[in-house]
Amino acid sequence: MTQLADPAALTLADVPTLTALPGEILALRNTVRAWARERLAPEVRRLDEDDAAAFDWGLVREGHDLGLTRLVVPKQFGGLGQGEFGVAVALEELAAVDAGFALIFGATMLGQAPVLLSGDPRLQARFLPLFCGDHPVLACNAITEDQAGCDLLIPENAQFARGVMRARREGEHYVLDGSKKFITNGKVATYATVFANIEGQPGATGLTCFVVMLDRPGITLGEVADKMSYRSCLGTEMHFEHVVVPEENVVGGEGGGVYVNIQQMNMARAAVAAISTGVARGALEQAIEWAGDRVQGGVPLREHQFTARKLAEMSAKVDAARMLYLKAAHLADNAIPAPAYEPAVAKLFADQVAIEVATEAMGLMGARGYLRDHGMEKRLRDALGARIYEGTPEVLALAVTEAIYTDDDF
Amino acid sequence: MGAFTSKEQATSVFTTLFDILLRDERFAATVRDENLSVQFFHSAPDLTVFVSADGVWIDETPSAPAISIKMSCDSADALWSGRLLMPIALATGKIRIKGSVAKVIEFVPLLQPAFDRYPAIAAEAGVGARR
Repeated sequence: MTQLADPAALTLADVPTLTALPGEILALRNTVRAWARERLAPEVRRLDEDDAAAFDWGLVREGHDLGLTRLVVPKQFGGLGQGEFGVAVALEELAAVDAGFALIFGATMLGQAPVLLSGDPRLQARFLPLFCGDHPVLACNAITEDQAGCDLLIPENAQFARGVMRARREGEHYVLDGSKKFITNGKVATYATVFANIEGQPGATGLTCFVVMLDRPGITLGEVADKMSYRSCLGTEMHFEHVVVPEENVVGGEGGGVYVNIQQMNMARAAVAAISTGVARGALEQAIEWAGDRVQGGVPLREHQFTARKLAEMSAKVDAARMLYLKAAHLADNAIPAPAYEPAVAKLFADQVAIEVATEAMGLMGARGYLRDHGMEKRLRDALGARIYEGTPEVLALAVTEAIYTDDDF
Repeated sequence: MGAFTSKEQATSVFTTLFDILLRDERFAATVRDENLSVQFFHSAPDLTVFVSADGVWIDETPSAPAISIKMSCDSADALWSGRLLMPIALATGKIRIKGSVAKVIEFVPLLQPAFDRYPAIAAEAGVGARR
């Protein structure tokens, strides 16, 4: 079981980043942290309370100017050429202020991933420079459907998937018909990586990934989901009616969709773990500030033993969550296929930590923690969000145990 | 039955292929400027192919490669022939890569001339004749 690494086998060169961030990543973190605190934080309550369909392109443009829409785009196309490690560090900083804003950029990278992984220079030259111009461009990844969630993510379940979007080959193009649901950025993206099933294949066994420009005739966007949290990013229904897509926009060939999606998930989970870590850290920092200022029994709360223990445990959990996602991101940056075990473990743990830390932090603040004025209740709502997307705890548990029982000798 | 009949045949094909790649201006410039090196670990037949700006080495490792790629010779034949697509090969583990993914993403599109030339090189060497 190589997934359970022997600590003695890990040299400093293997995982240098667990104790000190490389200079380039540190600079990125500091830049994103400063922007999130100075520009994003004052807008968080407005973004949270605004109409479900409201979207702040002004702030997205500022994020674009920082490079957040092109973090993973190779430098030759004008991007920053970052890997999962840099992405995760940046997303923790955004999520410590607002998880929804982190997901706007995270979902864009998810839509970029199939094009990056395609190894197809023509596909890359057509789509990746879109993100490197003067104006912000977002992408999305359209896989989830009303009747098909996990069945599209677990290869063995593909034969049971119901209501899967259809793709029919006609000459040198494909015709897509069907609908997608809960698609983050669907309302605001320029293109989507869309997963549809080749007609005649049972369930989703012919799942295929298409890059689809969203200005194509036949595409309509449904209502924006009125979510409990993550309200600064938009989750949308997308409807495709006789949408014509050229054959060169297929990634991974007919039937390759499941494999493309597995790769995406293994790459993305470290980043989502970073988002949960950011949510937990934001709650912890607010609790630390509160417990330092609030006086009860003549001393600050932090001097009460029960409170001190809670703060210490919360801090340990946040640090542990960060270590796990940094390790997962480091490994994902240095192996293809990305490992399945470490990203799944990192997300499983960080999602739980976010819920635990935000709950404790809210309790420490008493009545104020429950009020919208102080923002802690919003952090708890954010914490609950990440347990839903990119793998529920149940799906992650399957991925973890599958990896534990799989030998890997490379 | 495998695509290659002998190690000598595989050695000849891959040496020719990467010699051609190194004569490609864009590939050679990038490999040189980025100090890229890649080592292919092939099995059945077993051989390693090390490629850097300085040349091609068979079963030798002149320096630690920036990128290591592991695949069977059959998978290599299918990949270079266009029958096996990279995303599927990677996701199914038919090809395993270690090294900076950012460098790999930069490197893979540079291989296009090899995809273009491989079918003719393989046919000339009689690769797959027993299939």
